[in-house]
Amino acid sequence: MSQTAVSRKTNKPASPWKPAKPPKKLNNPNAVLSLNGKWGYLFTTPFFVMFLIFGLFPILYSVYIAFFNWDALGTQEFIGIQNFVELVADDRFWNALLNTIDIWLLSTIPMLILSIGLAAILHNPHLRGSTFWRTILLVPNITSVLAIAIVFGQLFGRDFGMVNLIIGALGFEHVDFIQGTTSSHIAIATMIVWRWTGYNALIFLAAMLAIPGELYESASLDGANKWKQFRYVTLPSLRNTITFVLIVGTIGGLQVFAEPLILGGSYNGGDSGQFSTLTLFLFDQAFVAYKWGYAAAVGIMITVIVAIVSLINFVITRRLAGDGK
Amino acid sequence: MSFKMLSIKSTAIIAAGLLSIGALGAISPAQAVVDCTTATSDTDTCTVLTINTFGDVIEPALVSDYKRDHPEIKLSIKKSDLDALNGTGLYTQCAAGGAGSPDIAAVEISYSGFWRSYPQCFIDMRTLHTTVGNKSATDIKKDYLPWRWDQGVGYNDSVIGIPTDVGGLEVAYRWDLFKAKGLPYKRADVSKAWDTWPKFIAFGKKYMAKVSAADKKKNIGFMDNAATIYAAIMNQGTEKYYKNNGTDGGQLVYKTNPQVKLAFNTTIDAAKAGIGTRIGQFSSDWNVGMSKGTFAVMLSPAWMMDYIKGQAPTTKGKWDIADIPGGGGNQGGSQLTMPIKKAGMPNHKQQAWDFISWYLAPAQQLKVFQVYGLFPSTPSLYTDSDLVGFKDPFFNNAPTGAIYADGVKKLKPIFEGKLQRCIDMAMGSALSLVINGKEKVTTKAFAKGLSDADKCK
Repeated sequence: MSQTAVSRKTNKPASPWKPAKPPKKLNNPNAVLSLNGKWGYLFTTPFFVMFLIFGLFPILYSVYIAFFNWDALGTQEFIGIQNFVELVADDRFWNALLNTIDIWLLSTIPMLILSIGLAAILHNPHLRGSTFWRTILLVPNITSVLAIAIVFGQLFGRDFGMVNLIIGALGFEHVDFIQGTTSSHIAIATMIVWRWTGYNALIFLAAMLAIPGELYESASLDGANKWKQFRYVTLPSLRNTITFVLIVGTIGGLQVFAEPLILGGSYNGGDSGQFSTLTLFLFDQAFVAYKWGYAAAVGIMITVIVAIVSLINFVITRRLAGDGK
Repeated sequence: MSFKMLSIKSTAIIAAGLLSIGALGAISPAQAVVDCTTATSDTDTCTVLTINTFGDVIEPALVSDYKRDHPEIKLSIKKSDLDALNGTGLYTQCAAGGAGSPDIAAVEISYSGFWRSYPQCFIDMRTLHTTVGNKSATDIKKDYLPWRWDQGVGYNDSVIGIPTDVGGLEVAYRWDLFKAKGLPYKRADVSKAWDTWPKFIAFGKKYMAKVSAADKKKNIGFMDNAATIYAAIMNQGTEKYYKNNGTDGGQLVYKTNPQVKLAFNTTIDAAKAGIGTRIGQFSSDWNVGMSKGTFAVMLSPAWMMDYIKGQAPTTKGKWDIADIPGGGGNQGGSQLTMPIKKAGMPNHKQQAWDFISWYLAPAQQLKVFQVYGLFPSTPSLYTDSDLVGFKDPFFNNAPTGAIYADGVKKLKPIFEGKLQRCIDMAMGSALSLVINGKEKVTTKAFAKGLSDADKCK
């Protein structure tokens, strides 16, 4: 404390109220630019080098090989758009696409509702031990996907799985989750919901904490109950966050891979492909059938589909959330 | 007789080899204290041999034997998932010119058809000679089952893989459950009662007739999964999806080969007769079902016996082994290969070949059989009293050594091509459609299997 006082005394021009004259060098705007620019480039270089090597190059290269009949150990033959022509006619691709969309719908909608609900509960200022609850919400997210998939695979077992033991105890017939189409999608969607709900709840919570308290005050003055406050203050304020979560969820949902892989134990997505997803189909074509050109074409189609779905998402959520009207 | 001679000869050579190493150790005391346990890369005294494998292809007991005899060699064993090793691992390493390749890689036989078409990815073991005995792959060929050996021969006749164990395929069954249902339960009677596949299905039907409706509702069945019959029948023929027409790649005949249709239709017959529980093998239900008697029968390779003991220890003595219908079978087994390596990487060809030829020699295969129950691929042992006389108390004292030896001798070499595995999976998917009731018409499913197989090309 006394030291600060001394330094202030001896160094008069450095008064916090009167900013010191900046050094002369910095008066020259070009000098600032070149100095910042130099360091800026240096600091961003590692990212761009990595991105070029592991991001951009593989993307461009896979576009390139999509036009080939590509045998990485043998010959490569240019075949134009034949891979895409075959792909459009391939029922396994459309099956994978439908499965992916189904799993995505089954996971995203419950996840959105649950995570906003959880966030609303955590937002309650009277909640005790809020840090504890916020922390454990992340536990499913940091658990290995493989571990989750193995545990859920056992839970959903036909004869001795816990879910079926409960179903059986209630007097219903056992469900063969893995063999059925919708049932296997439900099993996979459950894993995704379990893994991502807490994470998204924290994102929603952050957005809720940023909503100015005055809005709630004036709403309650106007006689709005808790539900109306939630509907007409909270939800419209979350519009951007919902869009963000949906788009990130869409990108992740259209690339769901580890869950169906472990559930079925192979790349074909179940004995008859009943839960084969787009990325699983891609991997199957690349590493089981060794059709690299075809797999690259699948990859490009996934990119296009993700872009289209994200766009639709964006438009719909904008409109739905509107201005709360 | 000649087999017995062989066994004596090779044992003598190995013994001589061990002796000479022991003698070396005695002469130079510095050698005796070499400890490479902690070595991570080559040093003046230590060589680190890298081995990529899956499951228990390289058994710990033999690794310690090798360490005792060769203290200067450190075996650095990396285990991974089967698909990751054979698919993403070996393939990408070869595509990268051998960058990142291990000295030795295990290849599972379902991939052997594929790898035979890319012999350039492996070192030809005919060109290598053992330090002790100066033996190349050509010299040891006679020690192995001919059809097993062929799975490691590349299209250009180079030897790219040496056989490890042979799976064989017989039938493990619960004699106590058979007896309770008034069916034949002694292994000779059972083998006779189902010596063909139609009789096997009829036997299963009789079993199912004694299963109560309540138990059926609990998915109690005769065998674990009828789909396993398909591969068994395919292996009993002389051709699968390829015909050996003298060309490197062979000729695809899956659309015309009657064996494919026979295997498919018989499997569907079994499924429609309701004898399978439709449990996926290696699923958690399967593991639990094994000890709870959910199924009484499973087609069982030799290595499966160890798995059953591990999963269902409480059923000890209640199992027995009978002959597989149709005669002979195989499921599983691997080859040890030496992938090519990029220039500049440590060259361990000599040490790797020394290890492979030692590890897969009859004497070591016998020890693996005794300790781990994996069945040897070297017929000289099939007359060895240690193997033939072996009785397994877990399986009601069945002479498992003799039973499996008979089975694997019945198989004939089958030409395996590049798309073997892909076509197998397409046909498997089609089978599953009918087995799980998603497709009622067998011919439609068969046609779908064939058209999906077309997409492998």
